[in-house]
Amino acid sequence: MEALGLNLPKLIYQIINFLMLMIILYALLYKRILAMLAERQQRIEQSLKDAEQVKLQLANAKRDYDAEIAKARQEAASIVAQAQERAKSQEVEILAQARRDADRVREEARVSTLQERDTLLREAKDQIAQLITLTASQVLGAELKASGHDTLIAESLSALDRRN
Amino acid sequence: MDAEAARLLATALAFGLAAIGPGVGIGLVVSGALQAMGRNPEAQGSLTTTMFIGIVFAEALAIFGLVIAFLIGFGVL
Amino acid sequence: MSSRNRIILIVVGAIAVGIIARLIFPMGSPVVTVRADDLPGLPNFTNSFMVLLVVDLILILLAFFATRNMQLVPRGLQNAMELVIESMFNFFCSINKKWTPAAFPVLATIFLMVILSNWAGMLPGFGSIGFCTHEEHSSQGALAINLKDPYLGLLPVQFPLAAEEGKSKYLGCEPGEHLLELFRAPTADLNLTLALALVAFVTVEYFGFRALGLGYLGKFFNFKGGPISIIVGLFEFISEIARIPAFMFRLFGNVFAGEVLLIVMIFLLPIALPLPFYLFEVFVGFMQAFIFSVLTIAFIGLATEHHGDDHSHAEGAHH
Repeated sequence: MEALGLNLPKLIYQIINFLMLMIILYALLYKRILAMLAERQQRIEQSLKDAEQVKLQLANAKRDYDAEIAKARQEAASIVAQAQERAKSQEVEILAQARRDADRVREEARVSTLQERDTLLREAKDQIAQLITLTASQVLGAELKASGHDTLIAESLSALDRRN
Repeated sequence: MDAEAARLLATALAFGLAAIGPGVGIGLVVSGALQAMGRNPEAQGSLTTTMFIGIVFAEALAIFGLVIAFLIGFGVL
Repeated sequence: MSSRNRIILIVVGAIAVGIIARLIFPMGSPVVTVRADDLPGLPNFTNSFMVLLVVDLILILLAFFATRNMQLVPRGLQNAMELVIESMFNFFCSINKKWTPAAFPVLATIFLMVILSNWAGMLPGFGSIGFCTHEEHSSQGALAINLKDPYLGLLPVQFPLAAEEGKSKYLGCEPGEHLLELFRAPTADLNLTLALALVAFVTVEYFGFRALGLGYLGKFFNFKGGPISIIVGLFEFISEIARIPAFMFRLFGNVFAGEVLLIVMIFLLPIALPLPFYLFEVFVGFMQAFIFSVLTIAFIGLATEHHGDDHSHAEGAHH
């Protein structure tokens, strides 16, 4: 064994050296790094879980938001519909009012026209009667009796009426 | 043939003869492992490990031959 | 210049530089020693052990600076060490998930220590710097490789640094002296590999007893199943014990053989020839560290499983 260099004290030194190195490295290196790796693993899992939760929250928020939006849209649509309806009814009312006004105006116009015509006609009749009287008196050159006078005027007027 | 020549011859023969068997054995192990890897490339990792363990068992014989060669060559035996 | 031409130029240049270096500087026949020598004046303190202490120091300093200021988002050294530790841990888990957390300190320490020791042995100065000693000090355990120097006598003039006939082949040494290397790879020392093998063996047995209690002994001493199971148990026992020398000599043999290989290659042709072998030794150094720790966890897996035990119990019940 001496030729191969084996001897007991050296072997014992080597074993002690190995055990010491193992203990030192365990305390300095393996324990800390494995703990760090475990911690990191745990933290990664935790953050994955958190991310999952955040995603869930986000999905919830999205759903709420979508619901809100849908509701708002619906409300807007109903408001527009109401407005349209109101506008339509008002339009009908305004039209009716306008028609009524127009009718009334037309009626008034017609009535006033008729009255005017009547007055005009009366005036025209009076003037015609005067003219007839005047003309007849000039033509005849003589004063007719009051009764004959009146008969002549009535005849002329009825002739006028018929012509009209 | 004097004693020293016989010693050198024995040293060479001890290791040379001891290396034949493990050489063939390691060749067979690696050949089998490579065929297995070719058929099933997904298992490459575990096959490599097992292959090395198998190689090591075959190689141990060659190492015993080496030890004997040392013992003869350095005059221990 | 095409890349192929460049490669050829580099190779030819390396060969030429190697031959010139070999002609100018002397090199004795390579001497390999199996054992790690004691440093002069320090009994039982070998050159390997000294390098091992340096390796320990490097590891401890790395560990200290990597974990001095731990942060959740790692940077720099902490990141690198975390990568190493985590990939080791995951790899051991892929072999045996159940016992890796408990056995991890042993496995990781074996891996880190062995890989740094193996790679330390390839640094410049290892095996070439040392003390001049007289031959009788380490005649046993050292083996001179008697190669004829192919470059001897190629040059008509003798360079002043080249060794003369009868003088020592090492620079600065007197005739008849040879080199006691100052640095040596820690794993090229059988004491270290035996210590690691014993630690691995004890770990395996410890986990065997921890998992199966005293029933673990039933794997080796099984008297219920008749003579065949006694013999099977005996073989189990022998192969269990034989793991110690297998562990010990596998690591030692690979590292030591790598050193011898590199020395012989450098002796034949420096620079050009050893370069590919250096790359190969880097791989071997990693591989041996890997194998040592992986085998330990694999053996723990074998020792802690119930399967064989249950089988023999069932067999005993049938008898």
